[in-house]
Amino acid sequence: MDKVITVKIAGPAGTGIKSAGLLLAKMLSESGYNLKDYSEYPSLVRGGHNTYQVSFSAGEIYSVHFMVDIFISLVAGHWQEHSKEFRENTLVFADNDGKINIPFKEMCDKLGGTIYSNTISLGLLAYLLDLDKEFAKKNIAEAYGNDSNNLSAFEEGYCWGEKNCQKLSVEKGKNTEKKIIVDGNEAAGWGLYKAGLDMFVAYPMTPASGLLHFLAKNMDEFKIKVIHPEDEIAVASIASGASMAGSRAAVGTSGGGFALMTETVSLDAQAGLGVVYFLSMRPGPATGMPTWTQQGDLLFAVHSGHGEFPKVVLAAGDHEEAYELSKLSLNLANKFDIPVIMLSDKNLSESSANTKDFNTEEKEIVASSKQIPGKGQTIKLYNSYEHNEEGFSVEDAGESKKAMDLRLGMEKDILEAMPKVNLFGSDKAKKIIVSWGSTKGAILEALKEMENKEDFAFLQLKGLWPIDPRIGQIINGFSEKILVENNATAQLESLLKSKMTVEFTKKILKYDGRPFFPEELKEELND
Amino acid sequence: MTNWRSGIIPTWCPGCEDYVIFAGLQGTLAKLNLDQDKTVIVYDIGCIGNMADFVKGWGVHSLHGRSIPTAVGIKLANPELNVIAIGGDGGIYGEGLSHLIAAARLNIDITVLVANNHLYSLTTGQSSPTTPKGTKTKSTPHGVPSVALMPVELLKTVNPEVTAEHIDCKEPLKVNEAMERAISHKGFHLLDLEQLCVSFGKQLKQN
Repeated sequence: MDKVITVKIAGPAGTGIKSAGLLLAKMLSESGYNLKDYSEYPSLVRGGHNTYQVSFSAGEIYSVHFMVDIFISLVAGHWQEHSKEFRENTLVFADNDGKINIPFKEMCDKLGGTIYSNTISLGLLAYLLDLDKEFAKKNIAEAYGNDSNNLSAFEEGYCWGEKNCQKLSVEKGKNTEKKIIVDGNEAAGWGLYKAGLDMFVAYPMTPASGLLHFLAKNMDEFKIKVIHPEDEIAVASIASGASMAGSRAAVGTSGGGFALMTETVSLDAQAGLGVVYFLSMRPGPATGMPTWTQQGDLLFAVHSGHGEFPKVVLAAGDHEEAYELSKLSLNLANKFDIPVIMLSDKNLSESSANTKDFNTEEKEIVASSKQIPGKGQTIKLYNSYEHNEEGFSVEDAGESKKAMDLRLGMEKDILEAMPKVNLFGSDKAKKIIVSWGSTKGAILEALKEMENKEDFAFLQLKGLWPIDPRIGQIINGFSEKILVENNATAQLESLLKSKMTVEFTKKILKYDGRPFFPEELKEELND
Repeated sequence: MTNWRSGIIPTWCPGCEDYVIFAGLQGTLAKLNLDQDKTVIVYDIGCIGNMADFVKGWGVHSLHGRSIPTAVGIKLANPELNVIAIGGDGGIYGEGLSHLIAAARLNIDITVLVANNHLYSLTTGQSSPTTPKGTKTKSTPHGVPSVALMPVELLKTVNPEVTAEHIDCKEPLKVNEAMERAISHKGFHLLDLEQLCVSFGKQLKQN
């Protein structure tokens, strides 16, 4: 099995940790490695304690690792609190107080600024990991423009490494095809775009804002409209109005923003307007922990909106699924003219991977068949009241029941159009792991490294609502059933039990704002 | 001539000034000869919003307070459309006030017509943002504690570029003229239409 190397960079906010991290990811990707990254940061702009970590391998990699091989603190301190992540041979660099002292401040003074520690680190890492130096410099020049000090800083770091350290023995990367670095938000943006997105509406909210930024940045090239209105209620209403006028519309938010949008989820279903709600979860309740991760809004999404009506809830497990399912979400919203909730979480939305280049993919557009103004079609009223086919309000017992039956009757066709489950491993295995969303990475990475991996199968659900009752038969075909969720109350279990009979023999739940890491899952699965 | 009547008989109370607005709108749409296929009316929730069923034309009977952002979405999606939002003082000045301000700041080319009877009448006469201070209603038996909102004056300070007018429904001819100005205007226009509710308006007079 190909070795996995994990690098972590830490320091206060504002020292360029994320930008150095993304440059490192780019250098690793272009050196042929597969990678996954992950950032932690508090909700502030300057100061505090931020980290960026990336795990890479010449082989497959599904998630970042907890244990770190190279740790660099860009300032003094900022490493002691990570001692649990260090092995005996972990290289821990910090400015004159680490296990290995690197004189960042002195080198920065020489360069005439305080902000170069991140680029010095890149030089050191390029040396330690034997990355192509000229190629790295090209990337740095592209990222920082004409600031030649950054190139000097890179040289400083590289030379310091040569003088003071030994290169690590790392197997060379093997990928030859072009890969792009995207986080989950960007992957979702590509998916929406490739499904023919016309309008994206959002109010900023961590961890979904990245999708707004990505689509806003590309709005001219993608020929889409990107709108940031006064609040989330307006966001959802504008998207519904746009849908009525024939636009393929999506919105982006996190739990608190989605709470304000739920009246419109209900409107969409009643009036027959397709809109995608991209919901990137963070820990609640209320403001919760804005920059951390949790899968706490599954049941909220499934039950969102007043009244009884059909909707779709999808959840992506990784970046390629964020792309594929976001594409599907916009197509389902328009095929059935219903609200579709596309779930992500901080762990997926703000973590990057190198994936295929989504821009080279063909567009895939399923058009809505609803009537729209300005095209000479039969006039219609889109009504939030119960209504007949023309859209006029009805309160008659027979007509209102008929309208309700017609709406709910769609569920059978919707179920057919839902994404199929992923079943990893053999159906002859002793135990089945059941999960959904971004836990996929840590589960697959844990299984990859487990000696008794043959004992396990892994069922990943991508379509959460409507839920296929046949899923129960798959789960019940295994003697041991293990539920893994990044929440406190096992929401998937409740959801499954609402439609089928399943009993989990073990539940692995984590709800401290942190994602699962493969190391802890390996232990828990074998416990 | 284009038929803008659905044929469904209006359900407003006899003598309600919503008929004045309905007739004024029908007349104005005909007089301006608007392309029916390129005209969308968005109705708020409230007595005046019930007009949705009485008009033949593209429309959205939206949620309470959300007629303006829905109209904004329609206009942004297809700027070729004539977009009119109709609501009451509850929906436009209460539940959806932030949307009124945002749309005026944007000076987006939509028309907003408000049937302002200073009460929530469809829900049987509670106070609204334009109910005079001190008025006793079902929801304010000790009198409304807040001063009344002055929407036309408010919009003038929000964005001097938008147009806003206040006309009393007691003068139907003036309503018709004002509606023509409102719908022909390029840019955001608020037409605030003064009404007295025939069923619950008495409580306004007692103060």
